[in-house]
Amino acid sequence: MEAEVIKAELVLPTHMSFKRIQMYEKYPKGQSKVRWKQLKQILQAEICQNYSPDEPNYVNIDSPPSMQPCKRICDITGFEAPYHDPRTNLRYANTDVFKLVRSLPNEYVQRYLALRKAAVVLR
Amino acid sequence: MFRAWTWAEQIDHPILITECVCNPVQSRSKMAELLFETYGVPSVAFGVDAAFSYKYNQQRGICQKDSLAICPGFTTTHVIPFVDGEPVYRGCCRTNIGGYHVTDNLKQLLSLKYPHHMARFTWEKIEDLKMEHCYIAPDYAVEARLFQKGSKEAEDKTRCWQLPWVPPPIEEPPSEEEIARKAAIKERQGQRLREMAEAKRSSRINELENQLHGLEFLLQQLAQVEEEEISSFLSKTGYVSKQEIESTLTKVSQSLRKAKGELKVEQAENEEKADSSTSDKYPLINVPDNMLTPEQLKEKKRQIFLKTTTEGRQRAKQKRFEEELEREKKTREDEERRLENPELYLEQMRTKYKELYEKVEQRKRLKTNGGHANGNSSGGVGRGERLNAAQKERMRLLTTAAFDRGKGEDNFGAKDEDWQLYKLMSKDNDDDDDGADEDEAELARVCSRLQAIDPTFVPKLEPTPSQAATTEVPRVRPLTKEDFQVVLGVERFRCPEILFHPNLVGIDQAGLDEMTEASIRRLVSKNEALEDRLTSSIFMTGGCSLFPGINERLEAGIRMLRPCGSPIKVARALDPVLDAWRGASAYAANLQFQQQTFSRVDYYEKGEDWLRRYQLRYTL
Repeated sequence: MEAEVIKAELVLPTHMSFKRIQMYEKYPKGQSKVRWKQLKQILQAEICQNYSPDEPNYVNIDSPPSMQPCKRICDITGFEAPYHDPRTNLRYANTDVFKLVRSLPNEYVQRYLALRKAAVVLR
Repeated sequence: MFRAWTWAEQIDHPILITECVCNPVQSRSKMAELLFETYGVPSVAFGVDAAFSYKYNQQRGICQKDSLAICPGFTTTHVIPFVDGEPVYRGCCRTNIGGYHVTDNLKQLLSLKYPHHMARFTWEKIEDLKMEHCYIAPDYAVEARLFQKGSKEAEDKTRCWQLPWVPPPIEEPPSEEEIARKAAIKERQGQRLREMAEAKRSSRINELENQLHGLEFLLQQLAQVEEEEISSFLSKTGYVSKQEIESTLTKVSQSLRKAKGELKVEQAENEEKADSSTSDKYPLINVPDNMLTPEQLKEKKRQIFLKTTTEGRQRAKQKRFEEELEREKKTREDEERRLENPELYLEQMRTKYKELYEKVEQRKRLKTNGGHANGNSSGGVGRGERLNAAQKERMRLLTTAAFDRGKGEDNFGAKDEDWQLYKLMSKDNDDDDDGADEDEAELARVCSRLQAIDPTFVPKLEPTPSQAATTEVPRVRPLTKEDFQVVLGVERFRCPEILFHPNLVGIDQAGLDEMTEASIRRLVSKNEALEDRLTSSIFMTGGCSLFPGINERLEAGIRMLRPCGSPIKVARALDPVLDAWRGASAYAANLQFQQQTFSRVDYYEKGEDWLRRYQLRYTL
């Protein structure tokens, strides 16, 4: 590599003397596609392990669902929302907000719903 | 940094790595493998970052040795009870909400509220905004009501971010010289045009006069010539008969007079002549039928037809004229009313406009209700189409046609009259339209009137669903400074609220205050003194604990859940963001640190199960 590039420290040097196994040894063809496991997969593996239920593990220590009643706030303004629009499934606080709700195009409705994970996911 | 490392041949010191609470054994083993195999580290220790932060602060007296550590982090929030300085993981509690979710929520809300500034809302900028402006309200409902009322305190709490904006260059009103110069140029052009027109006219007049003279001369010659030689004489000049010459003469003299500008008088004369000659033009009308020959009858019919059409035309003209007068009178009265009481008039106009607008809007909405419905709700589709009276009628016809005919037998169409049904049902026969048109015309008239006289009037444009990105009035007025302002009002305390109510973003887990209760419950100690000791020293660390107002809110929340009178004290770490590193570095500098690490030999001999159970001892 050119001296300027190394000096600028933009790119990692190819040979690092403190490493036992270098990158080019591990990935001779230069593919170096590091595949990290997703959290879901790790959790699956954890669940499969037979741990005793007393011991704390990653899945164990999850919080329980909330005991308090669900707080309903307006999706658009953030005020308290006693009302709910059956057509779009949005919560709204008063009539002005309702007019806005009814005039929103569908894309925006879905984005507002996605904020509280209530959007219709077509997958 | 790497340059320094290139000098060392290998890493010859132990490594201390922080991990999350109850790290899955797979992550741990992968990390250990990486460190031992690839980097050749002699020994490794894993520790929880919150515990290091706690230890650091305990040594400085911020918290006691029995304490409850609350660590709202980036993607998760942990609550860990510490008894005798060591964490008790059995009582640990984790919610999957952190600073990342707060920032993401703020970003989405702002992008939805200001779609045209979406490009400005980058992740980094929103993080900055969050750190600078977000706070936690002591009571969400009270705060929200404050903003809903729009009180002065709410105004003070609203922050406004002005985006860079360049005002469009204002065209200065042209200066005096400009106006004078332009006027002079126009004058000169006008003069030139007039001269040209004048020249053309005079040349034409000359031409016509010449023609006239020629024709007169010809007539004179004709008078002198004798009868027999007329035809030969005429053939030389090109005219067929004397009448022709005379008619050409009159035409030429007429056009001459026109060219000389006696036009209008002529027209009036002509009209009068036309009127008076109606009786002459239709001589046969007044003659009774039985005295005419068949040809003359035909002629008479034609004349009657012509007369009625011209009379009809005249009557229409008259009516139009009268209507014009009527309208002028009305506008004059309107003007008088306006001049004598401008305020009242304006008010009346505005209310009339509003009423009409509402009516038209409602009718339009009723009509297009079916097409308006969003696709995801099943109940809305089709229902809007049946609300109208005409449409109800249509449905009734359809159903009766289908079922009323033979009982059980479908012989619709056997009779020809059945098909007339479709004529009745035709959508084109919506007679709502007539009423709507009148209202719309009235509305347009009132609108234009208001625009003319009221400087502050802005016509309300209808929001159609096809209006793409904006939910506000399309820019019919020039952009102002306010269009480039991003207002942070309710969002300031709405976004951090999700730390206490993850339900707001759809995550069904406990918030910060309930987590402490859950953690204490999980300890299963039944030792009230211990519980009191825990709550009397609640330690907050982690980046999210920097929100203003979080301490008070947490205290209030925990007080609601604990038995009355239990001591509650919340303390924040000295530096919530970096104390974990400081604690870990202090720990690693300790002489006893080596005993807490495990080496490669241990790792291979003792296996994964041992690795799972491996825990640091934090009190050295």
